[in-house]
Amino acid sequence: MADNKQMVCMTCEPKGLCGGKGLLTLKEGAWANNPLAIQVLGICSALAVTNRLENSLVMGAALIFVCVGSNLLVSLLRKVTPYRFRMIAEVAIIATFVILFDQFLKAFYWDMSKQLGPYVGLIITNCIVMGRAEAFALQNPPVLSMVDGLANGLGYAVVLAIIGFFRELLGAGEILGREVPGFSSWYTPNQLMILAPGAFFALGIVIGIFNWIKGPEPEEKK
Amino acid sequence: MKNNVYTLFYAGVLGTVCSLLLTAAASFTKPYQQANAEAEKNRNILGVLHVPYPAESSSQELVKIYKDNVRQEQKGELKMYRYVPPKDSGNEETVAVGFEGPGLWGPVKGFLALDKDMRTIRGVTFYEQEETPGLGGEIAASWFQEQFVGKSIVDQAGNPGIIISSSEGQAPNKVDAISGATMTCDKVQAMLNEAIKSIVEEKQ
Repeated sequence: MADNKQMVCMTCEPKGLCGGKGLLTLKEGAWANNPLAIQVLGICSALAVTNRLENSLVMGAALIFVCVGSNLLVSLLRKVTPYRFRMIAEVAIIATFVILFDQFLKAFYWDMSKQLGPYVGLIITNCIVMGRAEAFALQNPPVLSMVDGLANGLGYAVVLAIIGFFRELLGAGEILGREVPGFSSWYTPNQLMILAPGAFFALGIVIGIFNWIKGPEPEEKK
Repeated sequence: MKNNVYTLFYAGVLGTVCSLLLTAAASFTKPYQQANAEAEKNRNILGVLHVPYPAESSSQELVKIYKDNVRQEQKGELKMYRYVPPKDSGNEETVAVGFEGPGLWGPVKGFLALDKDMRTIRGVTFYEQEETPGLGGEIAASWFQEQFVGKSIVDQAGNPGIIISSSEGQAPNKVDAISGATMTCDKVQAMLNEAIKSIVEEKQ
């Protein structure tokens, strides 16, 4: 039912079913239709960079920046973009924002850039970004599209941060590279959590818990 | 037809705007990026030579510390980085040599630092490697690199070569390998021995 509601939102927004309702858009993106936990999109990067909380946070920030920026531009240009050219235009816009962020990291956060390696550049291929441009920004006004980009970026970033937190805690016995008082002293780090299988376990558990809390029924209050 | 012209026009404008933006960003950040890459290399050389430097140094400071302390020398084919500490500092003169070779997944590059006698290892560092995280990637971990400190690059009979092996027994030129990373260890051993060979040849 949540999905139906979302579909309605996306396709008939101009008729005013939920047009202009920023808060609802925010909630949809970040919670009810969370790109990672509910739609299970963009898990490639979510598995790859979450071995440290710091990496996860920067990756989340990158996705928020790219999502907000590309949604805004795609939305601004939505009335002048030729329909059959729209996907190429979206990719060009997304790529521009991703490279901007990558250059910024390389110049001012060199260590982080080294750790994230190719995964910043690979945001270009992240289905969340193009999905939001195609499904939302093309039909909605700029400000609402930015809210949608922010919501989905946040949804991604929060899940990434949760996974990163537990993988670093259990895999390295640290948080943000620092020892945790009362924990690091006796805990023996489990290397599995740093390696790829740990990422799958963590993501699976997080998705499970997310859906369990959310329940089968959508939230009806709003 | 009119449609096609418009699409082409749109593509041209969008492409131009995007590329202008990226060019501006690239040329704005270029000096910072180059300084970072330079500092990264310097940081590795300083580290392996045991040159004391503040941990929070910025890229510019690192480049300066490097220039003040490290002399580059060329002996035949061999490029060496020599650290001659001030007399009262208590630090020892150290020489570093770069080495590189293929790892399991990609190129591995690093520095090997030796005492003044050119026989005893002062340190090993890898500044570029793409080995499997948690397995071969452990060559970048301090426990692996610290094993090399104090080891000799020649065996008891004086033959050049270092051994990275998980077999039992101690030797002045043997360090423990990483479990589950035999390929990486073999390749690292090969590239180290190549560098060691040229060091020993150059000294004679």
